[in-house]
Amino acid sequence: MKRVYRAVSLVAAAALAAGLVLIQRNNKETKLYETKFFDSFDTVTSISGYAASQEEFESQTKLLQEKLQYYHRLFDIYHTYDGINNIKTINDAAGAEAVKVDREIVELLKLGKEMYQKTEGRLHIAYGSVLSVWHAYREQGMQEPKQAALPPEELLQEKAQYTDISNLIVDEEKSTVFLKEQEMSLDVGSIGKGYAVQRLAEYAREIGMEHALISVGGNVCAVGTKKDGTPWRIGIENPDLESDESYVGVVEMADQSIVTSGDYQRFYLVNGKRYCHIINPGTGMPSEYFPSVSVQTKDSGMADALSTALFNMEFEEGLEFVESLPGVEALWILKDGDIRCSGGFEFHEKK
Amino acid sequence: MKKNDVILIAVLVAAALAVFLGISLYASMSTESGEAVVYLDGKEQGRYPLEQDMTVEIEAQGKNYNILEIREGKAEIREATCPDKICVNHRPIEKRGESLVCLPNKVVVEIENGRGQNLDGTTN
Repeated sequence: MKRVYRAVSLVAAAALAAGLVLIQRNNKETKLYETKFFDSFDTVTSISGYAASQEEFESQTKLLQEKLQYYHRLFDIYHTYDGINNIKTINDAAGAEAVKVDREIVELLKLGKEMYQKTEGRLHIAYGSVLSVWHAYREQGMQEPKQAALPPEELLQEKAQYTDISNLIVDEEKSTVFLKEQEMSLDVGSIGKGYAVQRLAEYAREIGMEHALISVGGNVCAVGTKKDGTPWRIGIENPDLESDESYVGVVEMADQSIVTSGDYQRFYLVNGKRYCHIINPGTGMPSEYFPSVSVQTKDSGMADALSTALFNMEFEEGLEFVESLPGVEALWILKDGDIRCSGGFEFHEKK
Repeated sequence: MKKNDVILIAVLVAAALAVFLGISLYASMSTESGEAVVYLDGKEQGRYPLEQDMTVEIEAQGKNYNILEIREGKAEIREATCPDKICVNHRPIEKRGESLVCLPNKVVVEIENGRGQNLDGTTN
């Protein structure tokens, strides 16, 4: 019997030792890393993921960073780059010729056209001629706040003539894009980031990141769950910058995207009144319905497009629209701070 | 069972427990006090405990800078050379996961460790 006990105690000791080693190794394997970079879409990108070492994580995120830069260049409306035809190339050739472009641009513009139809023009990628006027006045107003002014109505009306999306000709077979009117231009600011984040999430999976969180300027996409199987926790920022509470609440998600459109970060002041960067194609003026609208759905490009569209719609209309879309949920923060959600939006409100 | 065997098992169990408790205690202790961590273009520049009042000048590219002030357990950007002043207008931060972002200067100040919600990201 003695031998049996001795054997049992040895096995127990070995098991304990093995357990300890496992705890240590597990800690090492499941380490969560985070990185931030600034070189794409004029915003901060943050990527969280699991890796065995800092080096492994960096080699993965470097690939993602390069991929994101690539999309940034493709969708850029202000700069041209050697060797690629981007959105600016298309705009520069407006009224003159069709431009041969990367497949990704064709896909992006297809999404833009589809969302234009679905949102009855509240999401409008061929609205560049009007948006560029607002952009110029906003930049000017931020640089010299005392001279900040609104664009003259006649100018906005004149530019609005060149925003007919049926003049955007996308030839899928030839992979070309042609703007029929010389004065018109594309601005994909309302969908480009979201589209890129979606592609980035798919690419993350391809390079072996099964659990990751990607955020490009608040366009958040969860790849899988966290490694322990629990969902990622995303805070929805409080648009009331005077408040002590940074977040109005928390959303838990896995394999989902959330995108917020708000008026509280990018805006300029004219005579003390705030004019935000999102222009409602229905009125030609900065949208004033809500401080912020968040949209949660699987596809990040769709979430980006819908958050802009909802930002440009009255609440009742927006709610009806969201409820008609399967797998799409939204959260509105109203001017008085009240919060409204679509039926299926799961959200832990902070009281 | 021999007395020694019992002692051996007891000692092993106790040792294992002690190590385990030690690890978890260390992990919880290191999250007790919050710090403001400054990143410039994604690279960590410094960590400043929120318990200690101080003013830090963050040198960004060119002649740009952000002045970080830590007072009464909260961190805020008091002054900055950026044109948009989004970072200066932002509320002071104090809880884990909250951050101040200055895009033009590529500066991020983030609260790590300490009290707060366990958040993995934010949408804004």
